[in-house]
Amino acid sequence: MAKPEKLIENGIRLDGRKPDELRPIKIKVGVLNRADGSCYFEFGANKVIAAVYGPREVHPRHMQKSTSAVVRYKYNMASFSVEDRKRPGPDRRSIEVSKVSREALEPVIFQEYFPRSAIDIFVEVLQADAGTRTAGINAASIALADAGIPMKSLVSACAVGKVDDTLVLDLNKDEDNYGQADMPVAMTPDGKITLLQMDGHLSSDEFKEGLEMAKKGCLAIAQLQRAALLEKYSSQIVGESNE
Amino acid sequence: MKMEKKIVIPGDFLSDDVKLADEGTYIEDGKVFSSVFGIVSLNKQIKVVPLSGKYMPKRDDIVIGVVTEVSFSNWIVDIRSPYEGLLHISEFPRRIDNAEMSKYLNVADSIMALVSDVDESMKVELTLNDQRLRQIKDGRVIEVTPSKVPRLIGKNGSMISMLKNETGCNIFIAQNGRVWLTGKDKNMDLAIRTIQKIENESHISGLTERIIKFLKEEKGIPEKKQVKKTEEDKSGGILDELLDK
Amino acid sequence: MSNEIMSELRKDLIYNLMIKGEREDGRKFDEYREIKIDTNVIEKAEGSARVQLGDTHVVVGVKIQTGTPFPDTPDKGVIMTNLELLPLASPMFESGPPREDAVELARVVDRGIRESESIDLSKLCITPGEKVWMVFIDVHVLDDGGNIMDAASLGAIAALMTAKLPAKRFDVGEDTPLPMRDVPVAVTAVEIGGTIMLDPSLNEQRIAGAKLTVISNQDGGISGMQKSGVNPLTTEQINYIVDAAIEKAKELRVKFLEI
Repeated sequence: MAKPEKLIENGIRLDGRKPDELRPIKIKVGVLNRADGSCYFEFGANKVIAAVYGPREVHPRHMQKSTSAVVRYKYNMASFSVEDRKRPGPDRRSIEVSKVSREALEPVIFQEYFPRSAIDIFVEVLQADAGTRTAGINAASIALADAGIPMKSLVSACAVGKVDDTLVLDLNKDEDNYGQADMPVAMTPDGKITLLQMDGHLSSDEFKEGLEMAKKGCLAIAQLQRAALLEKYSSQIVGESNE
Repeated sequence: MKMEKKIVIPGDFLSDDVKLADEGTYIEDGKVFSSVFGIVSLNKQIKVVPLSGKYMPKRDDIVIGVVTEVSFSNWIVDIRSPYEGLLHISEFPRRIDNAEMSKYLNVADSIMALVSDVDESMKVELTLNDQRLRQIKDGRVIEVTPSKVPRLIGKNGSMISMLKNETGCNIFIAQNGRVWLTGKDKNMDLAIRTIQKIENESHISGLTERIIKFLKEEKGIPEKKQVKKTEEDKSGGILDELLDK
Repeated sequence: MSNEIMSELRKDLIYNLMIKGEREDGRKFDEYREIKIDTNVIEKAEGSARVQLGDTHVVVGVKIQTGTPFPDTPDKGVIMTNLELLPLASPMFESGPPREDAVELARVVDRGIRESESIDLSKLCITPGEKVWMVFIDVHVLDDGGNIMDAASLGAIAALMTAKLPAKRFDVGEDTPLPMRDVPVAVTAVEIGGTIMLDPSLNEQRIAGAKLTVISNQDGGISGMQKSGVNPLTTEQINYIVDAAIEKAKELRVKFLEI
């Protein structure tokens, strides 16, 4: 779409949201059979699926670490996930996203419990609408828990941006294309930041305010991640045992 | 004994008393947190039993493995773990030559072995030198989540004894989540269905009663026989054991 | 990656069941597993479908864009089929350039669509010699439970049948449905110890000596075949499979594609 005249009018964004509102999120845990852990995650129009295999043997062998697991993260966008069909295979962007996403999750994984092994995380974007890397990290966290991988906590992610000089939470595609800044953030529930990138222009005050906004968004997402995991089993839990 | 069954996720706060921290937890800033997605058990210690996860070999575990490779003096065995098991030729119950190895135990053969040692780099050594151990040449082997093995065995073996008696099968549960069954086909089918039910519902209270009910329904035991069985069991002790839980 | 070895015990089980006329999951030899097809699952793509065939799970996206035709067919549109065996789908799939299985699967799915002329490529011409519609069919395998071929082919057809030519977006008119005039359906069979079974599960696929896929059209004609695996097949076996495949394709067409 051609650049709209205004991206925010009277405090309401083009898709009807307020500046600090997240897009609707839908989560399903354990959707794949062969993977050790998996999660399907919808974040607005983003649709991603994350799968975890591990801990498992490292191939090629020379990549193994003698005292800890090696964590690998592969982010991939399906050819049909974007407006103009994308050629299959990794490009420079997906290589960068894979690296920062892995680094967003590594700090919480107890890698030292599994020497000489690999924990492989695969994130596939089936449909993209800005925020795929944050959707991927959110899905991957859940998939890791689903696989039984010991972690300090989950990691939650969302992006903050600036459109029409206003800070907004969770940019959609148009806001990302025509906005003035895009800042994806990932953090643990106790407030430690594990992913931080910024593209665009923000004043130092805007940055600080934006970071606080992102943190609130991440905490809200953490609640949803938790609920989704519990839901996988909760429909059957009756309460205290009578045995 | 009342046990609380609560599901937690990594990072959930469990207690301020770090002395109680056991498996599935970690300590930070003087507090105990869950490290896995699982069920908390607050007995004497605080433990979180994961709902999924791989088998981590421990010394003295009995495991069921499949030979994947025959190397010069070792059989390499898949024990359903991130770590393969190594069975050295000297740990075979007979003295054999290196050249004969695949004659006795070949790729794709199944064995019940003992984990004799695990070092810090997770090098796993197996042995077949024990009369409990053997090659598995008949029956069926199925897989369950390793963390659910204790539930499948039951308190003092009560669950597995009941399964064996009610289905007439011989059932052996290895620590690595593989279960070996022998018996008539129909009976093995029933045992396998029951084991799958236990696996899927292990986190729901009242499991034992449900399994007893399930077995009775599946076997279609008419009223008369049911009463008779209860009388027998009163002297045998299995149901008593279960009801005393 | 990890070389998953199937135990002799499991192989024996499958053989023993087969001798009794049974399969591991209780199916008859010519029975398919449960199938679920959803279309329009990726709204941004011009066409899409999700297929669950037993434990196998694939998502197919159809992207349609304008482009220049091949010089030797100036008035025909272009179809291109690609298939990814994503590392998500199995511990045996690695990331990297497509393996031979992925290439084979993509080419066979493509052949079925192309040779059946289910899409009339001349109807995809916008301006001869200059502008035609390019139809990209991308199959993403999310979970390998055996018989990816049939799941992929069902997905591709379902996605194509519900696809639209995005004429508005490319300023060449109003959006219209992609013109389809046939519904090719692939049916795959495996041979285990002399017995033929349709819709192999993962284990059955792994121990099968030979595999044969037959793609047939609405009128019962054959528009594609592919034999794979190291064992030979007898003429009787092949004829049996062809007849069974055409019958089964009719059944699948009616039940799942409502044709």
